[in-house]
Amino acid sequence: MAESIPKIQILKGAEPDLSAATYQIHDESHTIGNALRWMLMKNEKVEFCGYSVPHPSENHINMRIQMYDGLSSLTALIQALKDLDDLCVTIDEEYTKSLQSGQFERWDEKS
Amino acid sequence: MASSSSSQLPPSVFNPRRHVGVHAERVSDVASTDFPGHYPGEDHTWSLARFKENLTVSVKRLSQRSVEFDLVGVDASIANAFRRIMIAEVPTIAIEDVFVWNNTSVIHDEILAQRLGLIPLNVDPALFSPRLPGDIPYDRNTLVFQLDIECSRGAKGAIINEYVTSGDLKWVPQGEQESVFGDLVPTATNKDIVIAKLRPGQVINVELHAIKGVGKEHAKWSPVATATYRLHPLVLLNPSKPIPPHLAQKFASCFSPGVVKVSPDGEVSIDDRHLRKETMSREVLRHKEFEGSVELKRVRDWFIYSVESEGPYAPEVLFPESIKVMRGKIAAIRAAAEALLADSEGPDAGAAAAGPDADGDVEMEP
Amino acid sequence: MNSQPSQNYGSNSGFQNAPAPRQDMEYLCADCGAKNEIRSREPIRCRECGHRIMYKKRTNRMVQFEAR
Repeated sequence: MAESIPKIQILKGAEPDLSAATYQIHDESHTIGNALRWMLMKNEKVEFCGYSVPHPSENHINMRIQMYDGLSSLTALIQALKDLDDLCVTIDEEYTKSLQSGQFERWDEKS
Repeated sequence: MASSSSSQLPPSVFNPRRHVGVHAERVSDVASTDFPGHYPGEDHTWSLARFKENLTVSVKRLSQRSVEFDLVGVDASIANAFRRIMIAEVPTIAIEDVFVWNNTSVIHDEILAQRLGLIPLNVDPALFSPRLPGDIPYDRNTLVFQLDIECSRGAKGAIINEYVTSGDLKWVPQGEQESVFGDLVPTATNKDIVIAKLRPGQVINVELHAIKGVGKEHAKWSPVATATYRLHPLVLLNPSKPIPPHLAQKFASCFSPGVVKVSPDGEVSIDDRHLRKETMSREVLRHKEFEGSVELKRVRDWFIYSVESEGPYAPEVLFPESIKVMRGKIAAIRAAAEALLADSEGPDAGAAAAGPDADGDVEMEP
Repeated sequence: MNSQPSQNYGSNSGFQNAPAPRQDMEYLCADCGAKNEIRSREPIRCRECGHRIMYKKRTNRMVQFEAR
């Protein structure tokens, strides 16, 4: 089922050099959309970045990226994904560290 | 609540850029501003080193069912992603198919089936693969239970099996399941959930198939009862307009107990250690006499998570699980994006004919 | 919701497609629960207690539901 739908599609109207493009990401929602949008906006070469969920019953998001200096938005997208993964690793490490330190209150919760 | 007295707040908390204003009828400065170009001459580009420096994660309270922890130094979009994943995308096992052989109870079959679906099971989802529509059920994707119960009258008029509870579910091992699970017999996490009540002579005989799924498909697969966060509260006193001593008690009673300290001579101060207990009721803002002497704030990047587990996961592992799911999603998108990049660079390298859909152009919607 | 005759994975399956054997329909008394048979041109009346309301028994076919 739905084998033919690619994870990412570039919607028509994109610049040929991909300096401005809208990426349709399938099977994703605000969860990734907003986080990725934030990470892309942390890139100073990104002129504009925004995302939308075009319709609640369609299972995809549209991510619009416009770049300064004719740079490729696809490269920026991949970089943002890398950075987002680094962020996840960092948070995971810090959480594990805090959990292992045992510096918290333990209490008995009746169910 | 928290009896553990945490240390004083770090001074950076009082940086006004990190504050969300809380007013009587509205909130202000909600959106984050830490983007390149927002503040002239400042560098707000992504830097992992800087992120590591500002990040604090600390577990505050842990019980066998719930955890409270602080995540400080991240944007709301990141914090929200983890919250959403904990609710909707961390997989669990739940009953999906109900085969009713007999049900003479007063609970209708449909209602009974729905109630059975909502029972949290103690099965580790890592042992299972999802069963997509059309897939054939087998021992790696389906768990079988039997619920066969009849109510009867015992000695001295006692009613046997008056309550059908989740503890009455009997696991029927399939294939290799018996050796895979070993001593971990699949059951409900709570054996006292009442599924139905029976009268003597009434019978329920159903076969149940449980499969792996996620909360976005149906809430029965959500591993949490709640996963929420709130922003750390902050109460700022205006030193140029102090609270008069005769109003000190009234002022203190506008806040949660312990938040405002009143000294013997009626001087008012904020107890940082109890600030996180503040409910932000905005009661102070209703009194004219306190106008201008106090400001209510929240710290925009200080998230106090509260996660209640209701399923196979221990509460403290739900957050790491959500990170795992998040990284999986990122990896999937990244693989697709890199394929797209290779595709768009492909024709120049002359290797266009290799891929099936390498039509020598960037993939576009017709 | 109720996808009765479609695919069924029940372990005791293979039974629901068999034609139901023609047998006398049993009814249960609404008052005392006794098994009764009813015949045309005879009054509907429980042979145990005389109650005049009867219930049909539940189907003995398997019914499949989605737990949603």
